[in-house]
Amino acid sequence: MSRLTVKVVTPERVLFEGEAASLVAPAWDGKVGVLPSHAPFLTLLGEGEVDVDLVDGGSARHPVSGGVLKVLADEVIVLTESGRPTSSD
Amino acid sequence: MAGARDVKRRIRSVENTRQITRTMELVATSKLKRATDRVRAARPYSEALSAIVSSLHAPEYAEALPVLRQPERIRRAAVLLMTANRGLAGAFNANLIREGRQLLERLRADGVEVDLHLAGRKGLAYFRFRGEAIASSRIDISDDPTVGDAEGLSGSLREAFEAGGIDAVYLISSEFRSAMSTPPRMLQLLPLQPSEGALSAGAFILSPSAVGVLRDLIPLYLRNMVYRALVENAAAEQGARRTAMKNATDNAGDMIEHLTRTYNRARQAQITQEIAEIVGGAEGVG
Repeated sequence: MSRLTVKVVTPERVLFEGEAASLVAPAWDGKVGVLPSHAPFLTLLGEGEVDVDLVDGGSARHPVSGGVLKVLADEVIVLTESGRPTSSD
Repeated sequence: MAGARDVKRRIRSVENTRQITRTMELVATSKLKRATDRVRAARPYSEALSAIVSSLHAPEYAEALPVLRQPERIRRAAVLLMTANRGLAGAFNANLIREGRQLLERLRADGVEVDLHLAGRKGLAYFRFRGEAIASSRIDISDDPTVGDAEGLSGSLREAFEAGGIDAVYLISSEFRSAMSTPPRMLQLLPLQPSEGALSAGAFILSPSAVGVLRDLIPLYLRNMVYRALVENAAAEQGARRTAMKNATDNAGDMIEHLTRTYNRARQAQITQEIAEIVGGAEGVG
């Protein structure tokens, strides 16, 4: 099964890095879901939470406000200014 | 002859100095560790964002985005010079100031008017002493610079560039290669260097659009360039200070060794003389 490599990065540090089955992110115009084999994609983010479904069944949420999400070859990078994790499982 | 007591006093004074420089070296070492971690932690965001921005932007967007304009002639430029707030870091501040002065001279020789923006007490003190007009200055940026500090520096420069008040923005700060090597570096922030367009708009689904994405990302990109420069400059300062203080501590050690030898010789001479006097006196009596 193919997986996504997900990174959530702020100017100060990398908040999250790991393998995921899917993720849902708050784009500027509504939520977008990303699954493996997604087409190359670049979108601005709005306010909300990036919700990452981990491969082991858990999930990780990171609040974001603004920034950008890039998907290329099953690699997802979320660049955002804020993103304290709210829960880990 | 310098009396043994005078030499003893000097030894004590050098020992005190060595104590201070050694402490400063230790403090700088621990700050350097944290600063280096910050430099490393700031890299992934910066690299990813630079890659996106440089691959997206193309000259034809300049009509919609004034921040992308490429002025034909530079009439007025802003120079943002970063220095440390404190000295005792070897040639760290002097190198940055020299780089800044050279850039000012170069720009003025080309007939460019220059706005000087300073971050750091040392640069401010120097250029104020020289009687330079200073457009803005910040001396409140700590060893742990924040994104907010960077926004304060980059935001108004970006706006002035968009409005056409300035045609270029240069940034001078220290590059943090290692604790031993922290050379000054000049970066051109604006106008943005035209890109190769590796990531053409066609290859990606862009939401809302290339222009829309760039409109949001370029301010973040510029702020991040300044943030990175602040973080690297802070680390470079600690590295330079540690190196300078280590040298000072070593030199103090050498000096103490030399003085101790002088002291022993002086003391020996004094004893010899006293014995000679006693022997002479005894012979006189006998």
